Parts: sequence; C-alpha cells; structure tokens
Amino acid sequence: MKRLAPALWLLLAAALAYPAGPWADQYVLHVLVLVLVYMVLAMGLGVTPGFCGLLDLGFVGFYGIGAYTAGLLTLAYDLSFWVVAPLACVCGAFFGVLRGAPVLRLTGDYFAIVTFGFSELVVMVLTNEIWLTRGPLGLPGIAPVSLDFGWLSAFFRPGTPLCYEFSGEAPYFYLALAMAASVAAVLRRAKASRLGRAWLAIREDELAAASAGVDVGRCKTLAFAVSAGIGALAGAFLARWSQFLSPDMFKFWESFLVLCMVVLGGLGGIAGACAGAATLIGLGEALRALLPGLGIPVEARFLAYGLIMILIMRFRPGGLFAASARQPDCPAG
Amino acid sequence: MALTDVSFDAPRDGVMGLIGPNGAGKTTLFNCIAGLYKPTGGEILFRPGHRELSVGGFRPERMTALGVSRTFQNIRLFSSLSVLDNVRIGRHCRTKAGFFGAVLRTPGQRAEEKAITGDSLARLAFVGLEAAADQPASSLCYGDQRRLEIARALAADPKLLLLDEPAAGMNPRETGALTDLIQAIVDSGVSVILIEHDMKLVMKICRSLTVLDHGELIAQGAPREIRDNPRVIEAYLGRGMAHA
Repeated sequence: MKRLAPALWLLLAAALAYPAGPWADQYVLHVLVLVLVYMVLAMGLGVTPGFCGLLDLGFVGFYGIGAYTAGLLTLAYDLSFWVVAPLACVCGAFFGVLRGAPVLRLTGDYFAIVTFGFSELVVMVLTNEIWLTRGPLGLPGIAPVSLDFGWLSAFFRPGTPLCYEFSGEAPYFYLALAMAASVAAVLRRAKASRLGRAWLAIREDELAAASAGVDVGRCKTLAFAVSAGIGALAGAFLARWSQFLSPDMFKFWESFLVLCMVVLGGLGGIAGACAGAATLIGLGEALRALLPGLGIPVEARFLAYGLIMILIMRFRPGGLFAASARQPDCPAG
Repeated sequence: MALTDVSFDAPRDGVMGLIGPNGAGKTTLFNCIAGLYKPTGGEILFRPGHRELSVGGFRPERMTALGVSRTFQNIRLFSSLSVLDNVRIGRHCRTKAGFFGAVLRTPGQRAEEKAITGDSLARLAFVGLEAAADQPASSLCYGDQRRLEIARALAADPKLLLLDEPAAGMNPRETGALTDLIQAIVDSGVSVILIEHDMKLVMKICRSLTVLDHGELIAQGAPREIRDNPRVIEAYLGRGMAHA
C-alpha cells in the first residue's frame, strides 16, 4: 500500500464523519449510499468480463434475485438482515452457477446473448409469478436493517432490549461503506490468489490456460458464483434500504449502466469499477438537477452516458483508471 | 482425416524428434496427445505411474495434470500478465487453494502461495529469465517468450514435454542456448517430443526420429538412418530428387 498524504487522511476522516453529524443532508447521503451500492455491483460484475473476459449483459438479474430473496425472507419470516444477506448471497451464487454451467463453452457474443436473456427472464418471473412476488405491485413494507444485541444482555442484565433500528440515511451509509470495503477486500485477495491468476489466464487465452493445467470449467463456474453472489448481496442491501421492491427496478438498463461503470473505470480493476460507479451516479444526479434548469428533459442525461462511453472508447480504451501498459522494449537480435 | 495409421512409441528419457514437411500433421498429432483434439480412432497410451492409461480424448487440463505439458508453435503466453504470473499459472494443477482459502488467507493458503512463487522462480532461473520476473510477458523478446513458454510448461512438473518448433524464428546463438536448455530438461528426467525444422538442432539432440508426411508415418529410427532414407528425402524434396 502506498502511504497516503496527511491531507488525504484528513479528507477521508471528514468524509467518514460527515454523515454522522446533524449537518448532513439526507439527499446527499442518499446519493452516497446509491454510489456505494453501485460500487458493489460494479465490482461484482467486474469479475466476469474483467477477470474472465466474458461479457455479461444480464448482471442485474442477480441483483434482482438477491433483492427479492432478501425481501421475501424478511416479509415471510421476519429474519434479521445479518441472516438474510448471506442467504441472498448463496441464492444468487446458486443462480449464477445455474446460468453459467450450461454455457461454459460459449464465449463472446453467444455468452452475452445468454446473459441478456437470463436477466429478461428474471424480470418476467418477478412480474408474472404473482403468487410469490406480487408481480408489478411490488413488495412494500420490508423491515429496515436493525442491530439486535438482545442476546448480549443475557450476560449482564437479562431482558434489556438492546435493539437499534436503522432510520435515516446515515447508518445505511456506514453499512454500505462496510459492504463495499469488504467486497473490495475479498476481490483483491481473490484476484491475487491462485484462482485469480487462473481467471486472468482464461481472459488472456483460454486454450493456453487449459494447456497450462487450469481447469477452465471449474474456474469459470467459481467466477460466476462469486460475481452473482456479490450482485445478490447488493440486492439484499437494496431490499432493506429502500424497503420496497418492484420488478422494474431490475430492467436491462441497470445491467447496461453497471457495465458502463466497469468499462469506464477499466476492465479488470477493482478501484476502477468503484471510480466508474461514483462518476456515473454522480454525473446522473448532477444532470438531474441541472437539466430542467436548461429546459432539457431529465431523460436526456442518458445521452450524456452514451457520449461519455464514446469518448472513453476513443481516447482511453483501457478505461479511465487502467494501468498504463508498458511498451515492449526489446534489444534487437 | 488429418492423421492415419500413425503408430509409434515415444522413448522414456530422451528426445524424440517429430519431423516432416509443412502440413504433414505434426502439430495435429500434438493436439491429439495434449487433448486439444479428440481422435476419431486409435489409442494414445500414457503411463504416468504404474498403470497404463488410454488417454485419447482427455481434456487438456487433465493431460497436464497427468504429466503431459506442451508449448505452442505460435507462442501463446498470457501476454498482459507478468512473466512470474505466467509461470505461477503453470503451477495451478499442482496446487489446490480455492476461493475461501484466498479470501481468508489461511495459513495453508499462504504457505502454498509462497511455495508457488518459490517453485516458479526456480523454473524461471532454470530457463534464465529470473531477472525479468516482474516484467509483462509481452515485453520479452521473441526468444525469451519461447523460453518463458517452456518455463510455464515445466511448472506443471511434466513427465513428457511436447515442444512445437521451439527454435522457429531464433538466431543461431539463441538456437544454441535452446539446445542446451532442452538437453538440461532431458537430463532432469523429462522425456521430450520435439517438432522442429532446424535439422542441425534435430540431429544434435534427438535420440530417435519419427517422420510424418500427409498424415502418415513414413519413417522411424535413429537420426543417421533417417537422413539417408529415400522416402524421407522424397517427402521433403519431391519425387525424382531422391536418386539424384
């Protein structure tokens, strides 16, 4: 790790302290939490195209599966977030494997089409299986996250309620921050491991990877599981944060937005994915405030995303934060 | 059909040369042995331990795990990864830490990572590339890329190494160094099958030669016999030249 300058530490401390104070603006906090959720999504999606080189156009499907798993479990069994989140992860990972296993041999466009179809399928199921998901009516009234330390009170004064229910945006900000930081740490470690190297080898040259002894099918399946699990985790957070879910929160557009973030930040990078998420969400909110003043409909902000992607492709095809590739330098002969 | 009735025994300990004109099916034969192609008929037998296995149609990673490693005619490195990482990936099938081991950094996983790095650096030192360990593989010059590919193949602890035209594009000095490297590999107890057009190299290190033409085996034997075999000369130079 590079040492941070004292000024940067101060800035970081101020950013961390800001939500706790009475001066914090709920709207700003809401946007910050949104940025963190999209950071988690972008990091999760990054595993498939960034590490393994497989274009995933249906990542939002796992976001939806995680969100509905968490939402339904909360509504039906009143489970705590700390139980629901891991369950949503496992459920997402299961569907990741289910989607990935039959198409292990597909690459490129064909794989992308399958993933696209999958996310459409998820939206269809969420919309039409009314007995389970209430369809387009959505799931209202999902309980917020709470911290229950009631079990601790048994040690000193039995019966004391030690329950803290999240209200306002500040606690969610810290929870989202912890979630994003843990996902980043998990992916950092995974990327620097035997499995991560195998993923990168598959991205570079699948045939050479297999010949070098990498079990390509197994490693890809693991990547699908990890990627989908992270997407579902973000979904579980969303369910307990927004306290309302509906199928159109998981439309294809969301997949595309997250993919834009990953590409903007630079494929294969963890910090890049986070930076991409912050840039696009920040820009979206700024334009949402700015455009009506200029007499332009708010929807025009989507054009700005397109413009950014074109500029990136033209001037920095490796992404904003891609490590600059070293030029081959080789003495002749 | 690319190959018909090709039958031979690869010698244990030593270099077998696989030669023949372009398009004879040499690389196809490698792809069958290494598991990239599934043979439509015939048998490939390999004895990794005490038991002989019929390995025709096994997946490439399974062949590597059994002890058959290869290099490619057109170099196939993981070019944006570091030289060291290329070799570390070669250790994949000899190690086992998974996702949770990596995330939790268990003592076992850390010890294994340390061993992977140590073993990989040893392979790099063996081919003479340890100084370049942290460079991206694409920054190496052509000859060094071929050596790196050999180091990656050796990282899987092969019993049989398939080298597909390792000297292609090398200058005489690099070819000389490569000859020494192949000799050192054989001396370490690895059998080698070598596809090569550089006859000087072939004659120097091969114990036996197998010659293919149009997917058929046309000659087999010691380098000296092969050199004077009229069918081989005909295959290389065309009919009418054999008795000229």
